[in-house]
Amino acid sequence: MKQQLIQLDINNQIYEVPINNRDLLVDVIRKKVGLTGTKKGCGEGDCGACTVLVDGAPILSCLTLAVSCQGKKITTIEGLADDQGNLHPIQQSFLDHGAVQCGFCTPGMILTTKAMLDKNPQPDDRSIKRGIAGNICRCTGYKKIVEAIGASAKKITAGGIK
Amino acid sequence: MDSKNFSQVGRSVTRIDGPDKVKGNAIYTDDMVMPRMAHGKIKRSPYAHALINNIDYSKALALPGVLAVITGKDAPNKWGIVPQTANEVALAVDKVRFHGEGVAAVAALDEETAEAALELIEVEYEPLPVLLDPFESMKRADEVLIHENEPNNILHQGEQLFGDPDQAFARCKYILEKDFYTSYVNHAFLEPQSSLASYDPQSEQLQLWSSNQVPHYLHRQLSIVMEMPMNKIRVTLPAVGGGFGGKGEACSSDFCAALLSRKTGRPVRVTYDRYEVFVTNKGRHPCYMKMKIGLDEDGLIQAVDFDNTMDGGAYAGWGMVVMFYTTSMIHLPYRVPNARANVRRVYTNKPTCGAMRGLGGVQPRYAMECMLDELAEMMGISAYELKMKNAVESGYRSVSNLYVPHTEYKKCLQTVVENSGYLEKHGKQPFGKGIGLAGGYYISGTAYTLYLSYKPHTTVLIRVDTEGGVTVHCAAADIGQGCNTVIAQMAAEVLGVHYEDVHVVSGDTELGTFDLGSFASRVTYASGAAIKEAAGQINEKLFEVAAGMLNCRADQLKVKDRYFTSVFEPRKTIEWEKVVDVYTNTVGTLTGIGHFSPPRLKGIDLTRGERVQGANIGHSPTFGFSAQAIEVDVDVKTGKIRVVKVTEAGDCGQAVNPMSVEGQVEGSIMFTLGQALYEEMLLDDDGRMMNACLHHYKVPTVMELPEMNTTIVDSYDPTAPFGVKESGEGPVQPTIPAIVNAVYDAIGIRFTELPLSPEKVLKALKEKQEIKGKL
Amino acid sequence: MYLNDFEYYAPGSAGEAFELYGRMGDQAKVLAGGTDLLLMMKQKLINCRCLIDINGVKEFQGIEYEAGKGVNIGAATKISELESSTIIKEKYHALYQAAGELGSAQVRAMATVGGNNCNASPAAETTSPLVVLKARAVLNSTAGEREMPLEDFILGNRKTALKKGELLVRFLIPDPAPGVVSRYANIGLRDAMEIDAVNMAVSVEIEPGSRTVKFLRLVMGSVSPRPLISIEVPALLEGREYNNDLIEKAAFAAAGEAKPISDIRASAEYRREVVSVLARRLLHEAFSAAEEVKK
Repeated sequence: MKQQLIQLDINNQIYEVPINNRDLLVDVIRKKVGLTGTKKGCGEGDCGACTVLVDGAPILSCLTLAVSCQGKKITTIEGLADDQGNLHPIQQSFLDHGAVQCGFCTPGMILTTKAMLDKNPQPDDRSIKRGIAGNICRCTGYKKIVEAIGASAKKITAGGIK
Repeated sequence: MDSKNFSQVGRSVTRIDGPDKVKGNAIYTDDMVMPRMAHGKIKRSPYAHALINNIDYSKALALPGVLAVITGKDAPNKWGIVPQTANEVALAVDKVRFHGEGVAAVAALDEETAEAALELIEVEYEPLPVLLDPFESMKRADEVLIHENEPNNILHQGEQLFGDPDQAFARCKYILEKDFYTSYVNHAFLEPQSSLASYDPQSEQLQLWSSNQVPHYLHRQLSIVMEMPMNKIRVTLPAVGGGFGGKGEACSSDFCAALLSRKTGRPVRVTYDRYEVFVTNKGRHPCYMKMKIGLDEDGLIQAVDFDNTMDGGAYAGWGMVVMFYTTSMIHLPYRVPNARANVRRVYTNKPTCGAMRGLGGVQPRYAMECMLDELAEMMGISAYELKMKNAVESGYRSVSNLYVPHTEYKKCLQTVVENSGYLEKHGKQPFGKGIGLAGGYYISGTAYTLYLSYKPHTTVLIRVDTEGGVTVHCAAADIGQGCNTVIAQMAAEVLGVHYEDVHVVSGDTELGTFDLGSFASRVTYASGAAIKEAAGQINEKLFEVAAGMLNCRADQLKVKDRYFTSVFEPRKTIEWEKVVDVYTNTVGTLTGIGHFSPPRLKGIDLTRGERVQGANIGHSPTFGFSAQAIEVDVDVKTGKIRVVKVTEAGDCGQAVNPMSVEGQVEGSIMFTLGQALYEEMLLDDDGRMMNACLHHYKVPTVMELPEMNTTIVDSYDPTAPFGVKESGEGPVQPTIPAIVNAVYDAIGIRFTELPLSPEKVLKALKEKQEIKGKL
Repeated sequence: MYLNDFEYYAPGSAGEAFELYGRMGDQAKVLAGGTDLLLMMKQKLINCRCLIDINGVKEFQGIEYEAGKGVNIGAATKISELESSTIIKEKYHALYQAAGELGSAQVRAMATVGGNNCNASPAAETTSPLVVLKARAVLNSTAGEREMPLEDFILGNRKTALKKGELLVRFLIPDPAPGVVSRYANIGLRDAMEIDAVNMAVSVEIEPGSRTVKFLRLVMGSVSPRPLISIEVPALLEGREYNNDLIEKAAFAAAGEAKPISDIRASAEYRREVVSVLARRLLHEAFSAAEEVKK
């Protein structure tokens, strides 16, 4: 089938991309737009590594059609640091707390965290866990990730950052 | 070097690659883009055992966009991580031996076309009977042979004898003999294997980027399969998304990418999907173990008898080595004066088993720690007391000649018991709640290479000049465990600069100097030793220049925090950069090179002074230790086990990066918790994997995270560089038995088969009730 | 892991959607959350010529409650919306609980309550609470609208009462009587992203001033091809004072009614065992909650 040109708003930038209807968002982001921060761990929606934000909600880009994302605001991990390249408090907190080992789950984990904290800025431990239950990590054992998220929540609330 | 006076070692610095990873800038193999890059996919067998009578790929080749197709015949050379038993091939030749084995590979302009092309490859199979159980394999070997040259369907068997166990058992007051079974599990690292090969026809050179943890071994295997000299091959590791041993050899994707690249004259990348990760496996060996332990009247272990039938799957891989690790692991962390082991690693038509975190240790550890728990009960003492009585101490030499230069194992046990309140809680909690204790250890690197060689296991080259500052070259593989970071810390320590000043060039066989790879928890120790030598050479030169500039004696200088300072006249001090500048001006770039070779300890029965087959395996320059007390809450109506709290204490020697060590410990515990409670690859009667996806193969999520209290016990191995030992495979050892012992404390049932699924637990509870009812 | 090619439509109105679907018939599949559909297409279990994306049809979305009448939930409403809706939490608590237990945060943000029921997987999380709350499924097409109890809509494993060109457009759940409480529970092998080995929902009301059960409805999921509305449990408890003994009997009866299968996740025996445990716990929880409401 002939490809069509669609517009995707990713990290506040409009990308014009030729796609087929069947193209999945994760593949379009990674291969056509060239933002490889979003990862493919299983392709079946079970690991969360492909998580991106669509209109602020965390979604599995391996089970989302690119064509259905027109007119929506997509945020990938590359869009989290500010315009000067300063890390978002969540990113900084992950670094400070040793929550990054192999790094493959990290982008998805951070974005899921962002969506969670946007909705619930002061989550308790249980809410944090529920919030990232869809993101698998095989390296860290999760403890430092949960600590990093808790610490970043406090920082964000204190600093009035979004 | 004063152990308590480190300035860079011992800092919980942020990982060197951390910022790139949180920004999504770290490049993994599947992220790479090269001009004209083509995409490869592998066609896999739907049969677990079958002859290949014919492969017709003409239709696939005719599909627009397809560039090349290869089959096993294109590269029939056998490769294997253990050369003596090498029997693997890039793609199946004449026969498939497990469901999912690759039979052909396609390179196409895009992934969709490659996938579509696979459908057009016609393979004529002649199905053969399928063997899915090692006992069946051995029994039916005269009817069904998996490998023609292995007449019993056995890869290898071993018998080891140390001392006189039979005589020793005769003297024992307490004897226990039990059978155990450990399950068929997978590493489930998050990044699927991916290989990008670029072969240049003019220079006849190949570069391969791969998600791999042993660049050197991969390098060797490529040379064998591609029939190219090693010096025309370069292996480069981009960022690697976890390995845990599963990427500790070579992979079909590596060979197929390289072969297709050579065939098409273009870069070719092959990335596995999750199904392929499962069916290519190389996970932990299911073990059917019989263990017998005898204690004398004082509770001292006198003898251990160990029999192990290992289900190895279809090919050899790491099999023989893992097998001999299981026999070695019974000799520590307790004194065992007499031991016998009979082991065999058997072929079955299942995805091959290989190296998995804590290889060869987890299985016998489960058996031994559970049996000691039971023996303690038989004796009427606490498991803690029994373990303390038998725990080894620094300077211990086992009957198998394993030498432990330093250990704080007893301190680990004491710390864990104190922190968890084990003695107050054990045996005293309401039905359904329990606490269990277990310990374990692991090697800090092997004594031998996997192929016969005398070369150093790790070489580090350090370059110092005014342009780059400090650059450390070593082809070590950072797979997320953080070795690049600790290498930088150790180099900075010796050179007297800051961690942040050091660049590390690693994971590349051309840019980095030789390193055996990331397995057996070897890198910190090995690179540490080489760094000390290399940095020492640099310091020797710089100290002389600094002394000249300061007008004092070179042997009375120290370097720390980027300053050379006279020990006796502290006002005589000068910036490190200035000294480097002068040296570079007068001589040139500074380099230092260091090598590490572990002592080639022999596997000997010390009572007879005779060599014992396979007993070279298990030796290490030093060992790490861990103890864990785990609390569980069993829902006695549904059989669900919830791990409530894990208290751990580990001896990793001097922690180079304490935050990293904690991450390794916490990760190890969660990793292994999955095997204890629910992970298991399931096959149907035809040998097809039924749960080759993360949906049905359950790995722990954050919801399973218990309360965790870990302690890095104060320790320093004086024989080790910077006093270091391993951490990352020691902490996996106690987890399963601690959980199983806790379940016994909770519901009075000792489980000897993994995983402890709710169904199994509930069934056992009901049987227990029935028995109780009948009494 | 790549999909076949297809035509893609994103109708902006209900009418457009019905017209399209009516025309395409079984050449087309409806895309709502996609978590199930796209996965099956990846696994080559489904191969369709066209996809109709209904996420842009406002009429299919939203939660509208009217006191005395009940709640109107658009079929394309995201599970995460059910999870964060105060009215669902207060009045239709079993549905709120089930929504919160479904998948993960990501799946809840993508999946729809309609999709969860149209897939008609016996393990669907929201079906048993909807049925226990007496939800009705509203279907519509170019031929017009019709409605039926949800238990009549689901005909078996992956089979619904949808006719050619028909879409499930909303659920109507009646306003529960003031004393009625509903609860949901499930059990899986592990605690997250689970597809239930067994799930169950109950709705109860007790007489003020006593422990007499005025009304009880119990629905089991994942233990039969269609949502299993218990007959024996209400028979045992309605009109009687509940006590531990009676609850025990009821739990046992529920297990007897269940018709579970064995699969990768669990064996039939285990499921049956768990049904009784779950039923006991759920009934206790529901009765306690009902007591609270009466105070």
